[in-house]
Amino acid sequence: MALTEVIDVTKQYRSGDETITPLDEVSLRVERGEFVSLMGASGTGKSTLLNLIAGIDQVTSGSILVDGVDITRLSRPKLADWRAAHIGYVFQTHNLIPVLTAWENVELPLLLLRMSAAERRKRVAVALEAVNLTDRAQHYPRQMSGGQEQRVGIARAIVANPSIVVADEPTGNLDDETTEQILDLLRRVNRELGMTLLMVTHDSEAAAIAQRMIRLERGKLHELTATADALRTSA
Amino acid sequence: MLKFVPYILKGMWRHRTRTLLTVSGAAVALLVFSFVNSVQQGLARLTTNDHSQRTLIVFQENRFCPQSSLLPQDYAGQIAKLPQVTEVVPIKVYTNNCRASLDSIVFQGMPADQLAETRGLEMLAGSMADFVNRQDAAIVGEIVAARRGIKIGEKFSIGGVTVLPVGIVRASQAAENNLIFTHLDFLQRSRGDSQVGVVTQFEVKLSGAADVEATAAAIDDRFRNGPVATATRSKGMFQAETISDLAELIGFIHWLGYACVGLVLALVATTTVMSVQDRIQEHSVLQTIGLRPSRILQLVIGESMILSTTGGLIGVAGGVLLLYFGGFCIAAEGVSIAFQPSLSLAGLGILISAMIGLLAGVAPGWQAAQTKIVTGLRQP
Repeated sequence: MALTEVIDVTKQYRSGDETITPLDEVSLRVERGEFVSLMGASGTGKSTLLNLIAGIDQVTSGSILVDGVDITRLSRPKLADWRAAHIGYVFQTHNLIPVLTAWENVELPLLLLRMSAAERRKRVAVALEAVNLTDRAQHYPRQMSGGQEQRVGIARAIVANPSIVVADEPTGNLDDETTEQILDLLRRVNRELGMTLLMVTHDSEAAAIAQRMIRLERGKLHELTATADALRTSA
Repeated sequence: MLKFVPYILKGMWRHRTRTLLTVSGAAVALLVFSFVNSVQQGLARLTTNDHSQRTLIVFQENRFCPQSSLLPQDYAGQIAKLPQVTEVVPIKVYTNNCRASLDSIVFQGMPADQLAETRGLEMLAGSMADFVNRQDAAIVGEIVAARRGIKIGEKFSIGGVTVLPVGIVRASQAAENNLIFTHLDFLQRSRGDSQVGVVTQFEVKLSGAADVEATAAAIDDRFRNGPVATATRSKGMFQAETISDLAELIGFIHWLGYACVGLVLALVATTTVMSVQDRIQEHSVLQTIGLRPSRILQLVIGESMILSTTGGLIGVAGGVLLLYFGGFCIAAEGVSIAFQPSLSLAGLGILISAMIGLLAGVAPGWQAAQTKIVTGLRQP
């Protein structure tokens, strides 16, 4: 069974007198352990689809099954609990909590789960080590570079060992060198930790590191050919 | 929720100027609130306590100022013969200022043995024996002693009355801490014009079973056709009528207390709204991570409650210290109202500040909790 199934999802919203349909009966399957990149021009609805899968936006019609749970039927509180346990979200603008240190930002999702303080400490340490920021644990976001902030954001997304990590333009605000580091980190998250990754990007080079590339055009999904990276892996 | 307290505190620290201003405003308002309520409590203590209800004051009829009430001292013997009367204390009152004042000095002259036995005075310094043995000796209430810097053994003169303080006391009735007790005959002679045999009032203690109103009527009936007619009321009623103008004013200023509460509510609510508006995106990030909307509401309310309660604690503590060490007291016509701190006053202040925090946080917290996550994430 696929980890995530998007079934005939339509998303509409009103903008003045106009009804906009960024997603029109879209269907998608993401297998466990896959790294999928979702491409498309600005305004094509790729972030909307990501947000629907992450459970932070609501479908107009259709359903989304993650690990067998139809998240479109969950109440707001239940959906929040579900996100805490199953979703790791990497934002384009990092969105770290400015008053918390790197350690505290990473620890935040774990405060919502039943877990001892010792277990929390262990997991945060492992996550920060995975993104190579152990020495920055007590630094505040304002004391870090954009790349370091994004690495903390990735550590925060993976620390609770979610079912799926979604990343919305994770390299959108970074320079080339840092972009390369972040993409490499995401690839390691997928390969070494075995986490399922769904990444939205408008950068075809960034998208190419995924095993599957999907393009969103006029509200419809188009599967592209296997990526170079995937080909390399299979070879 | 406790796990998120550091997050709340750090958020407040990040905007420390705003936090400081809000806490300061709440503190000042709660300090004023404590003061206003201590005045009201002082008035209530004066007029409604059991002692005030079970004790009669016999005053000259149609007289209100203690200077003008001149009763024959030998009335005491006649009053004492009435049924249910357990004790009659003849009292000469002298005050340096009959009008309402924060620094009125009120002397009460009474027989030394009755002062020692019936007033329930706790001797803080000095001795009652020294008072009994010396004619110009005075026992000074702790409030007036602190206010005027009166020390044992250092003679002082006020309004032509010169006394030697030999004791500083704490009375069971807070208002009596503003009195200076002297020997009755000393006060009768003290100002040149001898008033020996004349007193200002009688304090009449009744047995537990006595009918207060009937006894008061019996006293007035007895002297209706005597040389000086009397007006007898319970001590509470006497004091309430004597300071009725002041009581009206005090009744009015309780609105000031409500205004303080409103002020803190507006202040904390404004700060909370600003805080929420600053953090629309942050709250959406927290919800994305998995915080329930109700948890966001709790975070906002928690912050406003911490702000308000911290201000309240500081204000109430400041008020209690000021009232305790300030020894404030207002007197009119020889009757004093003591502004005293109390546990109930402090508790009320803190409870009200916590409630204000709760109320101030509900609307902004609800707004924060109901904001759609994707809308919030798009905020700058």
